[in-house]
Amino acid sequence: MAFNLTRRKFLQTASLAAATIPLSKVVSAETGVAKASLEPKGTMGDTTVVGGLCEMCFWRCQLVGKVRDGQLMKLEGNPKSIDNGTAICARGNAGVKLLYDVDRLKYPLKNVGKRGEPKWKRISWKEALDECGSKLKAVVDQHGPQGICVFPHGASAKYPMHYFERTVGTHNVSEASFFQCRGIRDAAYVATIGKAPGEMVDMSNTKVIFLVGSHLGENIHVSHIKSYMKGLQGGAKLVVADPRYSASAAKSDIWVQIKPGTDTAYLLAIMNYLVQNNKYNKEFVTKHTSGFDKFSTAISEWTLDKAAKECDIPAAQIKEVAELLAANAPNVAIHPGRHVSWYGNDFQRERSLACLTALLGAYYVKGGWVPPKNPAKLGKTSWAPQEHGDEFNLNVINDKKVYPFKPPGTPTELIRDCAISGKPYAIKGCVVWGQNPMQTIPKQEKMKQVFNAMDFVMCVDVMPTDVTMWADILLPESSYLERHDEIKTGVGKVKATDKEPTQFIAPRMPLVAAMFERKDQVYITNEIAKRMGHEKEIPVQTLEELVDKTLASANITLASVKAEGGIHLQPGFSPYGVPEDFMVQLFNEDVAAAGFPGAPTYKAVEDVPAGYARLLYGRAPVHTFNRSQNNVWLNHEMPGNPVWLNDEVAAKLGLKDGDTVGFINSEGVKSRTTTTVKVTPGIRKDAVYMYHGYGSANPLMTAGVGKGVDDQSLITKIAIDPETGCHGMRNNFVKLTKDGKALDIPA
Amino acid sequence: MHLSHSSILLKYFYKLSYFFLYMTESTTSQDIASLYRFMAQCMQYPDPEWMNEDFFNVFYNLLGTFGAITEGKEIRDAVEKSSDFIEDLQIEYTRLFINGVPHVVAPPFASVYMDKSIQGSFALRTLNFYREKGFTMEDNADLPDHLVHELEFLSLLAKEEDFAGEEEFLSKLFRPWYKQFCPRVAEETRHPYYRMVVTLIDSFTKEEEEDGFQLNEA
Ligand code: SF4
Repeated sequence: MAFNLTRRKFLQTASLAAATIPLSKVVSAETGVAKASLEPKGTMGDTTVVGGLCEMCFWRCQLVGKVRDGQLMKLEGNPKSIDNGTAICARGNAGVKLLYDVDRLKYPLKNVGKRGEPKWKRISWKEALDECGSKLKAVVDQHGPQGICVFPHGASAKYPMHYFERTVGTHNVSEASFFQCRGIRDAAYVATIGKAPGEMVDMSNTKVIFLVGSHLGENIHVSHIKSYMKGLQGGAKLVVADPRYSASAAKSDIWVQIKPGTDTAYLLAIMNYLVQNNKYNKEFVTKHTSGFDKFSTAISEWTLDKAAKECDIPAAQIKEVAELLAANAPNVAIHPGRHVSWYGNDFQRERSLACLTALLGAYYVKGGWVPPKNPAKLGKTSWAPQEHGDEFNLNVINDKKVYPFKPPGTPTELIRDCAISGKPYAIKGCVVWGQNPMQTIPKQEKMKQVFNAMDFVMCVDVMPTDVTMWADILLPESSYLERHDEIKTGVGKVKATDKEPTQFIAPRMPLVAAMFERKDQVYITNEIAKRMGHEKEIPVQTLEELVDKTLASANITLASVKAEGGIHLQPGFSPYGVPEDFMVQLFNEDVAAAGFPGAPTYKAVEDVPAGYARLLYGRAPVHTFNRSQNNVWLNHEMPGNPVWLNDEVAAKLGLKDGDTVGFINSEGVKSRTTTTVKVTPGIRKDAVYMYHGYGSANPLMTAGVGKGVDDQSLITKIAIDPETGCHGMRNNFVKLTKDGKALDIPA
Repeated sequence: MHLSHSSILLKYFYKLSYFFLYMTESTTSQDIASLYRFMAQCMQYPDPEWMNEDFFNVFYNLLGTFGAITEGKEIRDAVEKSSDFIEDLQIEYTRLFINGVPHVVAPPFASVYMDKSIQGSFALRTLNFYREKGFTMEDNADLPDHLVHELEFLSLLAKEEDFAGEEEFLSKLFRPWYKQFCPRVAEETRHPYYRMVVTLIDSFTKEEEEDGFQLNEA
């Protein structure tokens, strides 16, 4: 540009004075900076704000914030916490960076370009809400409430999810936490012990910690890890089944380097061994289980040798594990896991874990599976439940359930197929709230087809995740550090020597005010509800009111909890002792009646085709799925996700540690990006492994974009767990590519 | 930074001349204040409320005063050729300063450049400077280190004829980030309006390096 004045020349311009006269006429009257009416304030010192509840992951550690002049300087564990205490993890710490992430969404945006290739324009909240309200209403008017599908995730998504499910009346809601994560576990335990298991294993008091695939240590949840470490320090033995030398495997007494997909066979053989050798807890089985005979007959084929062959592990090792469990029963912690949507045979594996716990009598005993007793009862304020019938329930065909043991909501694939085909009815509106279906749901191409089939797509999020590129309207939400919300309850001990546990109730309180124009879920949902004609049904006016109403049944208020330091404590009860009516269905007649195996059953998964390796993925200690990929601190800690490759395989392929590779899967899908190789003896030859949640495709994520490889982009073969309709995501096979050439993985 | 004698002298000399400039009849502190204020306005999110014909006429006139005739014409062309120039500028503003593809080009906050974060310690230092000078942020304002507010503040200082304050703010809190911000916008923008506006602000706040004056890099 020719124009190149300096300040001095600028000011020397002869006719400047004349030119400045009209300037004042075209500027608006208000300014953001103004003369202070009071005496100017100096710098204020740090204050400690209580009531924070972390949500860098779902564990919800209790926090305090060090705040200076409204600016959050640092996060720490709340000293009053009897859960995480003053400790928080690396991700928790890095919440500050999420809060102040440059790329965070700030204002409502309208896409004036194409879906998937957005051109954003900032618009006012009024315009954004008018657009969302009218477009969604138009979908309902034309296609009925079932014409809307919802993909929610996280604490803030519950209120809008209830609105669309209960008030608007669509069944088409798919939560990633259920259909791509823990829903199978919950459904399987409900079908076995009548309740979801959480991660309520008493590891700190146990003698054996038994993990299948869980990689505690890489997967960090503060109080859970504390209890795991306490258990290990107390001498607990650790048994880990994992094809990979995970952080847990590295600490284990027995590492079962199992062939992927065969875990159920391993569990059946352990159970059969216990039964055949009379090493199970007969008293517990008699008093608290049903269907033992049918169960033991069904599993009797699973000898140690048969399982050894199937699982590619020594029979002696299975025996060793079974003996160790038997010798220490009932004080053994059979961990139910969390992310369990692996192979499409997962309901049966989770049933096996629940049944194994029963054979060992490890329910409600020290070191076993122990839920808190008489936990604090909180209210359930939300949109009023309404009956909407099953006419438009995709999971019900001719009065028969497609997936009878599905977790709450509608299985993702039923929604996607209906949206794409328009059969049996049209789905034309999509609400994505805090979920990133592009990176949580397998087969990205199919997700794109869903979005392209919509009349209207809206997204609400804190970050511009991959899915937000598909929105017509994108709304910025206040983050967990800027709003009231979610109430964490639990038990712990005030002093280590306490005999009885103490219960705690910790509602989320904002540590700082929301910046820019970010709004919370109650505001956004209510405003949309008003525009869709549901003003009268609005249950609360503000998020604060919602939390206060929920706390009322425990006779506390936000104000009273704040005065208590952000956490309310009350006496708890010893959790040990099996309730009289507690029953475990070793053989479940309902499951059998629905046409599935009533006793835990192993179904083999597809073998790895020649030349390929199975793609396994898991958690990185400093990341929470893809949600934290743009966090500059966390990105700095682990900027990429090197692929674990067996050392012998690497040698045959001529790959060295640190070499750059890409991927191509068995369906011909290539990775968008590349990563480096981590050569290690700590993984089986038929599998490769990488951390999940990398390689964002969204350039709006300036730190995360293109870093590492997005494992989800390679997960294109969909397995469905037949009982629950949840996804299995570890049946995908890949070759590595080097300089554009695909390398055959040697057998 | 170690200053040699001659550069200290130069600096002193510069300050005098700077002071003198304010005192000339042709350019008063009020003119400077209006210029800052106008530049702040230019960097607000485009809205037909203010971004109208009058605004552009005043803008072109100002450009003419500085001899930026070609640039003015280029902007006029872009505006007149467009079926919806406000939307064009809104899209460009969003892409450059809020959230954009391929990525947000240049968030208009000092601490993004100085602390690699929004609301870093640089934002606090900026706010404290406002306070020391007896100013405060309004409730509905953006962050204190937003370009618009910094220009508003400079305008207020000029109005009060606090030249020393203005110079200190420019050298310590404004230029260090603005000189990183400006080229990013100038190079990456797809609209001549923003290229011109950031260049205008740059020129108006840039020290006379070619005169031997060296920036105080405190
Ligand atoms: S484990 Fe870490 S990320 Fe998860 S809630 Fe606790 S501090 Fe936050």
